[in-house]
Amino acid sequence: MRLHPFGLLEPESLTEALGALAKLDGEARLIAGGTALIPMIRLGLVKPDRLISLNRLPALAEIRLDGGSLELGAMATHADIDHARLVRDGWPLLAEAVRRVATPAIRTSGTIGGNLAYAEAASDPAPALMCLDAEVRVAGPAGRRSVPIGGFFRGFYEAALEPGEIVTAVRVPPSPKGARSGYVKFTSRSAEDKPLVGVAALVVLDTAGRCGEVRIGLGGAAPTPIRASRAETQLRGEVLSDTAVRAAAESAARESEPLSDLMGSADYRREMIRVWVRRLLVALRDGTPRSNRS
Amino acid sequence: MTLAFTLNGRPCTTEAPAHWTVLDLLRDGLALMGTKYGCGEGACGTCTVLADGRPIRACLVLAAHVRGRTLVTVEGLETDGRLDALQTAFAERGAAQCGFCTPGMLMAARALFIENPAPTADDVREALSGNLCRCTGYTKIVEAVLGAAPGSR
Repeated sequence: MRLHPFGLLEPESLTEALGALAKLDGEARLIAGGTALIPMIRLGLVKPDRLISLNRLPALAEIRLDGGSLELGAMATHADIDHARLVRDGWPLLAEAVRRVATPAIRTSGTIGGNLAYAEAASDPAPALMCLDAEVRVAGPAGRRSVPIGGFFRGFYEAALEPGEIVTAVRVPPSPKGARSGYVKFTSRSAEDKPLVGVAALVVLDTAGRCGEVRIGLGGAAPTPIRASRAETQLRGEVLSDTAVRAAAESAARESEPLSDLMGSADYRREMIRVWVRRLLVALRDGTPRSNRS
Repeated sequence: MTLAFTLNGRPCTTEAPAHWTVLDLLRDGLALMGTKYGCGEGACGTCTVLADGRPIRACLVLAAHVRGRTLVTVEGLETDGRLDALQTAFAERGAAQCGFCTPGMLMAARALFIENPAPTADDVREALSGNLCRCTGYTKIVEAVLGAAPGSR
């Protein structure tokens, strides 16, 4: 089955891409890897007259260090990020999360910028980037701006992008010293699915085992990716005892507002958030290998 | 739209409409029918081909996006009519039943060997995790891939 016919613009600079988008806003869609957009076109969910491809902007795919922070070009694919030594060494939580996106042949096409702009609740990288306090860099008709990732997801499949804006990069500050982190993905059907729930966590424990820093990011737990801020507040300064962990997992489940869909009901999701937040925090506390497979 | 790229080791220049995917280009533009159309949404994996040595879904990637790249399809595995080690292993071990998933399985396995010539059974399962087979139950496919791994022979 063919896609409905559309025109394709292939700008060779960001300025050219922004110009094309400004001129065609409303009629045109940006295409990066296409792993989300092409199925949407095929299913008839969107019917753009034109696509503006970002594939001829190699500068947008760079992965580099910038003053201690990680700068990921929006066109960097999940596979590029996973394979980057720089990321594996400095931001293992991010490497772990992108490695769980879909399947190998999707990870070679799907991009980090596309994943965030698509703004789905069940994104694998989003909860990790939320734990890492990332910022999303955006360029548009009014110039460039940076959006803290906590404010980037406005609603169900809705990113905080104004008309004519393009995600250009994701900036990730250095992880706190001594941080322990991990991502667990629970799928209810098969491994390559989107997560029913995804839990990312980062903790820094002092010598007495108390949480100096604790961040918990959740995918599939609300209409957008979220931080479990009540659970975090509850744990800050506390020892990660079984009781404290259990109570925090309970809070995370309660502050979640999951939706029901084909993969599972809202109640089941809430229950799985409780289970996987607890398991992940215990694994981080004990330094035990955790199964990243559900 | 004119496209120039390398296909199965040879330079290829062809015309394609802007809305064609790599799969449309291969099957309808170039009459290479080895790569199959399964789900059209990137879920089943039977349209997997290699672009610059990495697996892609031909049904999800626009033809325009392979300009200048190096593509290998299932037709590119044989040499002068002789099947390669992977194809031979699939045939000898009965790793194909209806055969519809086989091109994608072969290409996903080929991509794995480029990264990891001596994979474990878990590595193979992970590499093939995006390729659905409704006949075999996967056991013989995994065995065939392990048997053909260049690092284990």
